[in-house]
Amino acid sequence: MTAMDLDPLWISLKTALTATAITFILGIFTARWMSQHEFKGKSLLDGIFILPLVLPPTVVGFLLLWLLGRNTWLGSIFFAIGRPVVFSWSATVIAAVVVAFPLMYQTARGAFEQIDTNIEDAARTLGASEQTVFWRITMPIAWPGIAAGTILAFARSLGEFGATLMLAGNIPGRTQTIPVAIYFLVESGKKQQAMIWVLVILLISFFSIAALSFWTKYQRRFSHRPAREVSADS
Amino acid sequence: MLILSIDIEKSLPEFKLKVAFQLDQEIMAVLGPSGCGKTMTLKCIAGLMVPDQGSIILDERVLFHSEQGVNLPARERKIAFLFQNYALFPHLTVCENIAFGIRQLPLAERDERVQKLLRKMRLHGLGHRYPADLSGGQQQRVALARALAPEPKVLLLDEPFSALDTQVKERLEAELLELQEDFQGHVLFVTHNLAEAYRLSSKMAVYDNGVLLQWGECRSIIERPVNKKVARMTGMDNIFSGIVSKIEGCRLEVQLDTGHLHLYMDYPGGLVVNQEISIAIRPEYIQVADSQEDNCLGAELLSCTEELSFFKCVFRLQDQVQVKVHLAKISEQVLVPGQSYHLRFPPEKLVVIGPHLQNFHVKKGHIKASACI
Repeated sequence: MTAMDLDPLWISLKTALTATAITFILGIFTARWMSQHEFKGKSLLDGIFILPLVLPPTVVGFLLLWLLGRNTWLGSIFFAIGRPVVFSWSATVIAAVVVAFPLMYQTARGAFEQIDTNIEDAARTLGASEQTVFWRITMPIAWPGIAAGTILAFARSLGEFGATLMLAGNIPGRTQTIPVAIYFLVESGKKQQAMIWVLVILLISFFSIAALSFWTKYQRRFSHRPAREVSADS
Repeated sequence: MLILSIDIEKSLPEFKLKVAFQLDQEIMAVLGPSGCGKTMTLKCIAGLMVPDQGSIILDERVLFHSEQGVNLPARERKIAFLFQNYALFPHLTVCENIAFGIRQLPLAERDERVQKLLRKMRLHGLGHRYPADLSGGQQQRVALARALAPEPKVLLLDEPFSALDTQVKERLEAELLELQEDFQGHVLFVTHNLAEAYRLSSKMAVYDNGVLLQWGECRSIIERPVNKKVARMTGMDNIFSGIVSKIEGCRLEVQLDTGHLHLYMDYPGGLVVNQEISIAIRPEYIQVADSQEDNCLGAELLSCTEELSFFKCVFRLQDQVQVKVHLAKISEQVLVPGQSYHLRFPPEKLVVIGPHLQNFHVKKGHIKASACI
């Protein structure tokens, strides 16, 4: 294998890590905001956030292609500044963020909403500012859920194929991620090379799942058991 | 004056809270059925909920005032809140939980105070455990220690004993009373248990469905309920309506509505002949007399249940009105359902129910009363 051949790995990792970082911040922010506010049309907005999870990736890709293409004002801005998104490396990141976002958002929101509001209120009565409450109480308690969401988001952005192909295409050395590479290798009959990439993906996914189960155990340590009575108590 | 004064209103869909009361540096109980706005009151005081209108003033410091536009955030109020489910921080150890409210203090001072509270709350040796590893009673004490660490001016307790078994509960109650002795502040606790409220507090506020029915000294609420609702909620089970038939000096004669029965009682003042009134008596004050005595009514025993510390009897007067009587077990009488007995209503224990009577001086002294059945 020449050095050139490793490009899909670096592109995939770079894309997945960047996308995970963006999803992490965006997902937590949105989840926190949604769990703290009540308004009309909340469930509709919630549905829109979850939508990429249920739509076929090609549909997501098609919509993104339309949104970021020349025909919308958003897309034309990028064209005007000379950095079109379509068929660029950023397109791989955008596609990955959009498909991974629902996983991060949903798990983080679940984690936030599971927290007993009395615990946060207790911190407030003990002199904690909203920031302190969030960083010292909410985040640590929600952390196992957030970590699980992050790992899921990472795995999902690493495996993204449909939307990436539609929006970023298959440009070796620029937008060709491992899943895209596998598809085109198999199509051109290079089964053995495809197998190597398949093994790489299997390995990364295995580690992701191992990490996830580690966090699940970590979560159990903090699980808030119901108060039990002990007669000889002291 | 060190007074916590609350006068607030808050409307929710299908619920309205409107309460006003004050307390000195003492223990006050907020009594009422669940869903009557007790916890909401505490949350408004702590700053966790914003009332629509009114004011909350603590020792001359305005915590909330709708007209002045003052609403201090919870973190600036120095009010401790003990939640019903304790709400301990599950990811912090016992020590870290207690130290949370005093994290701005220098380390040495913080440690010293945490150690002191651990000793005081009998939690020594548990400092490095996580809340999930503690029993209910221990969690309760950690929550109390955590609440007291910043030396608050007010301690709010939301149903503090409801989830505990009797033994743990009794010990915690004793601890709360002990605590009150060196706690320089106001304690407000919510309960639906009358006995608990009476035992622990010096004042009481009785709620029903968001409305404050009555507040004041425990004894005055128990002995002088302002209306039938408070009477029923505080265990004054026997309420009769009637009219004032005669006022003689400090003796009042009441003719009961349902028949030609008359009862005599101490005249509290402020009444006129032929006025319609409700009179009431607690079940433990009615006696079973051996013979026709003063202020007695004949009654048939319907049922008699043996409770832990008394007999719970239901009698029927000749006009079908039922009377609940709690008899001390020390009495050697053997009561047989279906038999007739004489029930004696001590005149000094009969009260007239009504808000206009609350401020009248209750005249003491023996009044000769006679039965007239």
